Amino acid sequence: MSGTNQFEPKIVAFVCNWCTYLGADLAGTARLEYPVNVRIIRLPCTGRIDTNLVVKAFEIGADAVLVSGCHPGDCHYSAGNYHARRRWMLFRELLDVVGFETRRLHFTWISAAEGRKFQQVIAEITDETRALGPYLPYETQAAAAPPNGTALHPNAPGQDFAGASQELRATARRLLEEDKVKVVIGHGASGPVFITRPEDSDRLEWNENSLANLTVYLKRPEVRALGAAAVVVKGCDERALVVLEQESQFRREDLQVIGVACEGLGQPKCEACDTHQPRFADHTISSAAAQNAAPSDGRYAELERFLEKPREERLAYWTAEFDRCLKCYACRQICPMCYCERCLADKNRPQAIDTSSHRKGNFAWHLSRAIHLAGRCVGCDECTRACPAGIDLRLLNLALARAAETQFGYRAGMDPAVEPVVGAYSLQDKEEFIR
Amino acid sequence: MQNPYKPDLMEVIGVRQHTVDVKSVRLRFQDAERAKEFDFRVGQFGIFSAFGWGESTFNICSSSTWHDHIEFCFRKVGRVTDALWEAGEGDTLGFRGPYGNGYPMEQWRGKDLIFLGGGIAMPPIRCAIWYALENRADYGDITIVYGARAVGDLVYADELDQWAARPRVRVVRCVDPGGETPDWKGEIGFVPTVFERAQVAAGNAVALVIGPPIMIKNTIPVLERLGAKMSNVYTSLENRMKCGIGKCGRCNAGPVYVCKEGPVFTFENLRDMPMDY
Amino acid sequence: MSERISRDDLRKRAGEWIAAGKTVAGPVQVKPGMVLYAPLASPEALQLDGWIRPTNSIKEFVFPRHEALYAYRIDGAGITLDDLPAEMPEQIIIGAHPCDAAALPILDKLFNWDPRDDFFNRRREATTVITVACTAHDEQCFCTSVGLSPAAERGSDVLLVDAGDGDYEVRCLTEKGSALFGAAVDSVVHDDSSPAAAEIDAGPKRRFDPEAVAVFAKEHFEDPFWREHALGCVGCGACAYTCPVCHCFDIVDEGNPRGGERARNWDACQFALFTLHSSGHNPRPAQGARQRQRIYHKFFMYPEKFGETLCTGCGNCARNCPVGLGVLPLVSEICHAESV
Repeated sequence: MSGTNQFEPKIVAFVCNWCTYLGADLAGTARLEYPVNVRIIRLPCTGRIDTNLVVKAFEIGADAVLVSGCHPGDCHYSAGNYHARRRWMLFRELLDVVGFETRRLHFTWISAAEGRKFQQVIAEITDETRALGPYLPYETQAAAAPPNGTALHPNAPGQDFAGASQELRATARRLLEEDKVKVVIGHGASGPVFITRPEDSDRLEWNENSLANLTVYLKRPEVRALGAAAVVVKGCDERALVVLEQESQFRREDLQVIGVACEGLGQPKCEACDTHQPRFADHTISSAAAQNAAPSDGRYAELERFLEKPREERLAYWTAEFDRCLKCYACRQICPMCYCERCLADKNRPQAIDTSSHRKGNFAWHLSRAIHLAGRCVGCDECTRACPAGIDLRLLNLALARAAETQFGYRAGMDPAVEPVVGAYSLQDKEEFIR
Repeated sequence: MQNPYKPDLMEVIGVRQHTVDVKSVRLRFQDAERAKEFDFRVGQFGIFSAFGWGESTFNICSSSTWHDHIEFCFRKVGRVTDALWEAGEGDTLGFRGPYGNGYPMEQWRGKDLIFLGGGIAMPPIRCAIWYALENRADYGDITIVYGARAVGDLVYADELDQWAARPRVRVVRCVDPGGETPDWKGEIGFVPTVFERAQVAAGNAVALVIGPPIMIKNTIPVLERLGAKMSNVYTSLENRMKCGIGKCGRCNAGPVYVCKEGPVFTFENLRDMPMDY
Repeated sequence: MSERISRDDLRKRAGEWIAAGKTVAGPVQVKPGMVLYAPLASPEALQLDGWIRPTNSIKEFVFPRHEALYAYRIDGAGITLDDLPAEMPEQIIIGAHPCDAAALPILDKLFNWDPRDDFFNRRREATTVITVACTAHDEQCFCTSVGLSPAAERGSDVLLVDAGDGDYEVRCLTEKGSALFGAAVDSVVHDDSSPAAAEIDAGPKRRFDPEAVAVFAKEHFEDPFWREHALGCVGCGACAYTCPVCHCFDIVDEGNPRGGERARNWDACQFALFTLHSSGHNPRPAQGARQRQRIYHKFFMYPEKFGETLCTGCGNCARNCPVGLGVLPLVSEICHAESV
């Protein structure tokens, strides 16, 4: 060991068993020396490498992480690395928005025959990381100071709420009287209501408080137990139905969709909305003023402004945001797309995400949640509304929505005929970030 | 500052495997002073730690008359029990306790004792049996009916033989129909049915019944028919626990904290408790 | 004789306490439209006006979201348990509400039910609570239904009452409170001439009788009422975590093979896994049972054990519930059901 205090980086390499691991092995048998800074973790396939493993490596002391596998076309499991590549494309954008030093995360294709390449890559990464210095754990990160200003919420424009409410009640009453459904899930005076008797239809309301995305109840066993349902949706909520149907979470023929045309309810998402009119409803409570325009150019404006901030400022912002997280999981519970019977955060063999409300636990949770919703989140912003700590989840969701749209031309919940972005792959997916 | 959450460090002095997924572990206090002053009542429970993995709640299944060790018995079902499973002699585990109310063994003096148990419910009964045998003169006739789904699921099976050899102790062991092996010499049938067949006099008896809800449900009528009063029939409830000391709010069954006001209840108590366990 | 302090002087005092190394917390605007109790970086961050009450409560200052209980080290010699430092830096909370302050003596009962929990006790001892009497309420407030009021003194060390002219009237209620303000003679204006024109909100009308709720919870344990009224509940922890008195917690080990900490974290009875047994059995398998547990614990069980209702009527649960449930909405349904 040298007597100096020079920083020696710790590199964690997640490698696939069939290519890169053998490539590393080859480097060893061919006596190609590579820096001892690397710790190699073998997995069956890059397709198996969960993004939270990467996050965890940094949390527990890695200064750089390498993810490496078979070249496209050579995957031992045919398409594992294609899925991985697509996931990494989205994950990198998420990390960038969060202010993470993406220079510390490396991706390569290294085959079993490329011992020399393995040697070169490890040497390069070690040198680069030595120059970058140690990865600074969350605890050392400063949190941004609270921003000033007042909340700006444009008032909901005058809509015919009374008329729409009447029409809604009549529709619900008819559906129940004709026994087409056993329950109508709609908005009431102070929150969602579950109407099972025609005479209770008068409890249904449609007004500026009808913010909830009622499609969330399709995942609740207590609601499913009531029987065939009708659900009241705005155009934004309806996008969730498209995604849920693509993911086989319900059968379209088992659900009556009551769409309500909406001119906006004064939420940030309403400004750039292009789904004022429901598109797939069985019954539409319509408003002539609510038209579906082309997607607004400004739909990622907030995010683009945020990305103008330097990396350190972005990280300070998210540190302050996540510091407030209580781990109440309101964001998860209110999201229609979070329907896993046992969430990753609730599993403990292994404990992939610490349940504690500290920086490690909170970052791990929010990064996981965001990436699990990549390409699936329809931007209903219910998570943001539900969060009792005011965390800017909307911005995090926009990050992944933009990644999906700019990289793959995809917007979740718009066109049922388009292949979803996660779970699919293309041979042409970009890989300029992979060496 | 007193820290009620901090466990004692225990040395593993023995591990026994009973079935494919059940082991019992014998522990002694690392701190000799603590070992000397430690005492508990049979029926109380402890919270056992595998450091780094977590804590889990088990009855202390050894007799309080033995001062050189405590024992617990567990099934390997999750993260903590997976870690406990790996414990070997010389390893260190943690123990917090004793918690709970325990069996009122003093009140049971002079009575006949009926022990009815199913499967993994043997350990919380075992401690009471050994206690009674160690204080034999204080108790009347002892009847033990213990059954499991199959022969391979019987826990502490060898001790059943030891107990049967004691004076005025009657042991009936059974397995569910289909659970017997060719050389099985015990009864075949469910515990309530086998117990009824045994025609035990229950007029002067106290009964301890522990097992799955279905077994308990079917045993009550039999006990009533045999003349037992529900205030003399006891059980030990289990509920999910974390702190064991009435703070974390998890284990309440209706208005009672199972960890502090239980886990031992009479069936008369249970009748007044809502189905919250 | 009335003692008064101006808002500016109060901030000045806060600045002095911060400079002296104490943790000073109070309502802070963390983003436009959201006020939370949080440590003050500077006295200017203290938001004394312009909101009904913060979205969270002050319980996190005596019962943190994540609290290490002790550390463990694993090495060749075996396992060693290390106590963590016991000293608590002094904490001062400025701008608590009566419904937050009253939570502390209520929680005290549980945390001192043998055995004592000194994690709670030492934090409480190190904390001085300066409460500001309410000058307004909204439809979610119901403190008057649970024995409190906009100027209730329970749990507070000092009560500041808005005098209507920019100053507060200072009422020191405990020795701790006097110690904090008594020393600041120069900034406390003794004004004998004008009577205290105290501006205290009249408070919400009394909405229900907690006794009646207790009786309903006890007698209607298996009632389909719970299932029906919990349909909207999505099973998050927003209500429990923002409640001043909800205190359920989980215990976890966090670390690596060389060592780590055992800690407690907030937990909530609304989560599906809260009561799940390792056998797979769950005594509260559906949300109705879990909603019932919340009301039952608050209005029947805690009063029976400790003589206190486990609710201070702050309304946070209903304000924070994304689907408009909460104690007041549910209890209103109970009263409606009972009167029908």
